[in-house]
Amino acid sequence: MAYVSPTKRDQNGSYTFSSRPRPVEDRSKYREAPSEQTQSNYGNIMYDRRVIRGNTYAQQIIPTTALPDPVEVQRQQEIRRRNVAAKRAREQCRTRTPEALQGRKHIDVQTDLYLEELSDVIVASDIECQTDAFLDKPATPLFIPAKSGKDVETQIEEGELFDFDREVPALLEVLVGKTVEQSLEEVMEEEELAGLRAQQRAFRELRNNELEEVLRLKEQERRRSKEKERRVAQQKEMLRKEREVAEKIAARAFTQQYLADLLPAVFTSLRSHGYFYDPVENDIETNFFPWLMAEVNNSLEKRYTARALLDTIIDDVAQKRQEAFKDTQ
Amino acid sequence: MAGSPYDPSRAPVAYGRRAVPQLFSELQQQEAPRRVRALASLCDLLRDPERISCTVSGGFLEQLKVLLKDEDSIVRAKTCELLHLLTAHRIGRQALLSSSFLPHLSELMDDSSSSCRRNVQRVLNRLTLMPAGAEALLTLVPKLMLKLREEEEDVQVLLLSTLSSCSCLDPLPALASDGVSLLLHKLSDSSTDIRREAAAALMALSVCEDGMRQVCEKEVLPVLVNLLRDEDVEVQANAAGVIMYAAITNEGKQQCLDLDVIPILLSLVSQDGEEEKDKERKKALVMYSLRALTALAEAPQGRCLLLEQLPLLGRRSEAAEEDQDIRRNAQNAVRVITWTPCNTGDL
Repeated sequence: MAYVSPTKRDQNGSYTFSSRPRPVEDRSKYREAPSEQTQSNYGNIMYDRRVIRGNTYAQQIIPTTALPDPVEVQRQQEIRRRNVAAKRAREQCRTRTPEALQGRKHIDVQTDLYLEELSDVIVASDIECQTDAFLDKPATPLFIPAKSGKDVETQIEEGELFDFDREVPALLEVLVGKTVEQSLEEVMEEEELAGLRAQQRAFRELRNNELEEVLRLKEQERRRSKEKERRVAQQKEMLRKEREVAEKIAARAFTQQYLADLLPAVFTSLRSHGYFYDPVENDIETNFFPWLMAEVNNSLEKRYTARALLDTIIDDVAQKRQEAFKDTQ
Repeated sequence: MAGSPYDPSRAPVAYGRRAVPQLFSELQQQEAPRRVRALASLCDLLRDPERISCTVSGGFLEQLKVLLKDEDSIVRAKTCELLHLLTAHRIGRQALLSSSFLPHLSELMDDSSSSCRRNVQRVLNRLTLMPAGAEALLTLVPKLMLKLREEEEDVQVLLLSTLSSCSCLDPLPALASDGVSLLLHKLSDSSTDIRREAAAALMALSVCEDGMRQVCEKEVLPVLVNLLRDEDVEVQANAAGVIMYAAITNEGKQQCLDLDVIPILLSLVSQDGEEEKDKERKKALVMYSLRALTALAEAPQGRCLLLEQLPLLGRRSEAAEEDQDIRRNAQNAVRVITWTPCNTGDL
């Protein structure tokens, strides 16, 4: 009992018990009186908290609260304090036997009908028992049951179980058959593949053939169309040149014709504008004639003045004559 | 036989429907030898088309993708072999394409183990049997061309075959990665297979204008004329094919006439000394040579030469010729040779 930790009341009032593992103590058959140190409180089972009350089908699960309600805590503490106080009160109120008088001692007395001897020493007797040592046992005799039934024997002669000529063909057939089957499969596979390849090759040959024709014709077409274009371009060029030449010729002819009487016309006009002149004639014209004319003018002037003078004279004379006539009248 | 307990190199095979799923769950084991054995058994099983459809519909292909990145090279090589068997059938090929195996396979092309690389090339080669496969592989063409320089002979044959199938669909990627010079180098290789495949790839490349131009520029024609005299019929046929495409352009015609290729082509077309069984194999050769002659007849020098040889071609174009295609080609050739401007209606 030395290793029992004191029973604690958990905060919720549930009961916990824990003790370290200890070997079982060997106790004497009859227990001794419990020592004063034990704290086990034997209570009424009806009021033992360890016993579950009520309906166990819906058991109350202990709520796992991290921090218990302070109100709860206080209430528990109060209950505890009250219990302790009540217990102490009960102890105090309990009537006890009065103390023995001086010089006297209380002793226990049995008041039953039949007296019992009370002693601490329990009468015990030890009895031992031991089996005898094992004796050497002789070997058990062989159990041979009594003979019953008939004796029969049999023997397999050579060649009876296994007839080579009959068994082996079957085995051989299977072996050879499997091998041949496997090889046939492989050969068929290879043949199939070879057939595939041959077909592909034949197709490829034909395809190459036709493809070459297509490409050659395409190239031919390209060449011919290029050639055609070149020829057409050449022809166009040629036409253009011809047209140019024709235009040039026409222009030349027209110009020639236009300019045919240019020369006489030019000469005529130049001549008419006096660019070609006979220098003597010109000289005569420019120098001589003006002088001549001037001289002519002069002489004519003179004549005119003479005539005018004459006129005036005549006039004068006429006047005078007139006057003279008038006078005479 | 798969699954026999006496064969230590193969894992045991469950019965019937459980065979394939059980082997695939075996493939998830940690130890590499067990995986190798399971893969060996699967290789044996997957020759059967029903097993293949079971594999594809059971969705086990994702597991194979994981195995492709395994550390053990034998596991990787065996997985590629398994994929190779898958591609033998249409279901397998379609499943491979739709599950996007190509990025993983292209990573594996750089693998360290040569058997793994060889198997990857086999897978890619088989994928080109489908046009969708060839189309999907077009993105890998530059990488394949890189690999062409490095790998060994038999892998090169596979690579070239894959390249020619892809280029039949679209020659531009291969041309962009400088395919013509690379293939020119391969044309003079000592192995017949490589020459044949290289010539076939070149023929696929020279279909477009750019290819024709490059073939003329890079002096490929002299090598091809040499190949016309090769022993193998298919090499000759493929070389004639390239020449027929190259002779479409003016430059090509000029180069061919300079190289004096017409007599060689005529000797190929002529019928003397041909046996029955050879006719089948030589059909492609005769067809391509006739087409090449037709193309060369458009040049004036070629026409002069060929006008003299009309009887030879006439023999081929008669009704005596059994093969319809050859007859048609020969008639076409004769028509082009004897064309005069007043013959045509248009122009």
